[in-house]
Amino acid sequence: MAVSTPPRPAAAGPTRFLKRRAGRRRQWPFLLPMLPGLLFLGAMAVYPTVYSLVISFFRWNLNNPLGKQYGGFHNYDILLKDPAFWHSVGVTLRYVVASVVLELGLGLGLALLFFRSFPGDKLLRALLILPMVVAPVVVGLLWRYMLSVQFGVVNWLIGALGFGRVDFLGSPSWALPTLILIDVWQWTPFMFLIMLAALQGIPEDILEAARVDGAKPARIFFDHMLPLLRYPIAVAVALRLIDAFRVYDLIFMTTRGGPIDKTETLSWQIYDAGFKSFDIGYAAAFSWLMLILVVVLTTVFLRLMLRREDLA
Amino acid sequence: MQMRAKVIRAALAMVAALVMLTVAACGGGSNNSKSTSSGPSGTPAKGGKVTLNAIFLPATWGTVVKDTLAPEYERETGVKVNVQLIARDAIHDKMATLFAAKDSSFDIFNLDYNWIPEFGGAGQLVPMDDMVSAADRQDFFPLTLKVATWQGKLYGIPQTIHPALLWYRKDLYGDPKIQTQFQAETGQKLEAPKTMAEWLQQAKFFNGKTFHGKKTYGWAAQAAKGFGNVHTWLSFLYTYGGHPFNGDFTKSTLSSPQGEQATAQWAEMMKYMPPGANGFTYDNVTTAAQQGTIATALQWSWGAFAVDDKKSSKTVGDWEYTQVPAVTAGQVSHPHLAEWVIAVSKYSKHAVEAKKFAAWLETKKNDVVQASLGGGDPVRQSSYSNVKLTKDKVPGTNVLRFRRLPQVIVAMKNAMPRPFFAGEERWETTVTTPLQAVSLGKESPAQGLTQSDKAVDASLQR
Repeated sequence: MAVSTPPRPAAAGPTRFLKRRAGRRRQWPFLLPMLPGLLFLGAMAVYPTVYSLVISFFRWNLNNPLGKQYGGFHNYDILLKDPAFWHSVGVTLRYVVASVVLELGLGLGLALLFFRSFPGDKLLRALLILPMVVAPVVVGLLWRYMLSVQFGVVNWLIGALGFGRVDFLGSPSWALPTLILIDVWQWTPFMFLIMLAALQGIPEDILEAARVDGAKPARIFFDHMLPLLRYPIAVAVALRLIDAFRVYDLIFMTTRGGPIDKTETLSWQIYDAGFKSFDIGYAAAFSWLMLILVVVLTTVFLRLMLRREDLA
Repeated sequence: MQMRAKVIRAALAMVAALVMLTVAACGGGSNNSKSTSSGPSGTPAKGGKVTLNAIFLPATWGTVVKDTLAPEYERETGVKVNVQLIARDAIHDKMATLFAAKDSSFDIFNLDYNWIPEFGGAGQLVPMDDMVSAADRQDFFPLTLKVATWQGKLYGIPQTIHPALLWYRKDLYGDPKIQTQFQAETGQKLEAPKTMAEWLQQAKFFNGKTFHGKKTYGWAAQAAKGFGNVHTWLSFLYTYGGHPFNGDFTKSTLSSPQGEQATAQWAEMMKYMPPGANGFTYDNVTTAAQQGTIATALQWSWGAFAVDDKKSSKTVGDWEYTQVPAVTAGQVSHPHLAEWVIAVSKYSKHAVEAKKFAAWLETKKNDVVQASLGGGDPVRQSSYSNVKLTKDKVPGTNVLRFRRLPQVIVAMKNAMPRPFFAGEERWETTVTTPLQAVSLGKESPAQGLTQSDKAVDASLQR
């Protein structure tokens, strides 16, 4: 049976269009106050981003009196064929994945500990978040001194326990794990705070109902708490993921990319290219490849974590 | 309707004002000067005062300028000089970004000489030839001027030099018990090493033993990734006769028999440094020397002031200085030269005044004043015979404070600069990684140098 569609009134289309236009005309003076903000955004975010994309196609060294020369995909071509680039991608991924996973695990564990109040919990909570408020440069310097082979307190303690001294920042096998642990020390409090706030937001009656049904603590956590923590975890991990990719100051203060190239991350190589060699075009191409990598990874992670309707 | 028109007009006026403000701010930004603007370059306007802005290294020669000489210059001339102290890498970054923006915020820069080809060649520094008289040219060490010159133009006034010297502990080398022990173990007499082989033998002897109540290591030198390991290794490379480049800096030539011998000797020596030495910076070497945990060191001549400082050193008067050992007895060695110069930005609005200040800092009198205040070794040959320096003693001792100076004069005859071309900073960044792989025993000298050659050639192509 054919279904007939009721005919549209002949004037409906143009009338609606005219009404919408009239509505917009009435609104736009009130949108004007947004213009300064939009201009600011354009000048501070959009323009530099577009500019960096443009210069990534140029062969441009700041100290070259010849200035910019269009090179097409020259910079990208060199980069993608450069083993040092792929090495730094590997180092960065290891650093990011290990530190974020550890921070999430520890942060969640600590949040569960602090979920129920106990004597002195407020003071402990304040102490726990201290590392997060210290500047990464200071954190790097602090740990460099504490981990010093000869004069560091950590090696002094290791020595006192009867073990040999460890060159944490100078040994090719120790340097990256040490940086990961420093990052974990500094940023676990961030995860902890988000997880604690999320846990405290879970309706008590859900947990109470599970308890009444005889669910054990582990079952309550995995079946009732964890699903409700999905969004906070997604947000916290995405934020830390993006931040961990940018690690630079910690490396600057501790290993400077060494020993050898064991801690040369993408950000470190971009700094070398941009500010040591002043290869601005090359550094811009490097930055864009890093941006693509971050966006791809974050998107994949969010797609895995969130449902289709959440993303929509 | 009228109300709406009013709202629109008000909003448009607001936006226009904002755009004008933004344009004005941006327009002023690139050539904005913190210097007190006062008429033509270097000439203070009537009743006005010129203020110069300078960036110096936060080493002693920078603090001497900031705390003593700049205030004195203001008293003498009325020209105020604001001095900011900024770390080496940050100076390099700042210069490039300021110059790219044609920014005139800073008039004077303290430069590591290897940046002269880079910034001088790009036309971002003001030639200073007119500030150095013929008599001055005779007085400055020739090498100090050579490395401040690019394509025939002098772009910096030399401020301080510090060629690498071999430091050795006089208290250990002069101890009869240790001398006997050394003779018994090696069959040799314990005296300051003249050859690389002797130095290695002595480093092995001292390493790990306890002398004068302290566990001692063979030697220390800068070895950290970055410029540290490259600068130390260069003294070995030059002494063994190696050259990093061909004549026109178009090809890396590290893989040579001389290069391999030098790198092998350096890597072997690295085994006799204190634990964690692969990350040693200038400060770490200084601390080790002050604490007396090393028997010898390859360190800048200027750094000697730190070990004679009673407040921080346990080895006051214990260190003596000599030349970097040669390959074989009777030959000369070629220490790596460090030098800092004072340059003036092309974008300075007070270039004439800035040049005058730079030249004033290095008058005969001030060269001595700077050295006596601990501001690095003098750049003028005449300063080396000035009694203010030659007779000065470490307070409370009979030890000459500037006992290193005769060795500095000798070192300046044979010292060699870093590869003097515009890509030197990039070159250091490139070779530091394979060199560290060699020093950590992860690669052989031959492998490390081959890898360096490849990486340098690739970066030259970029």
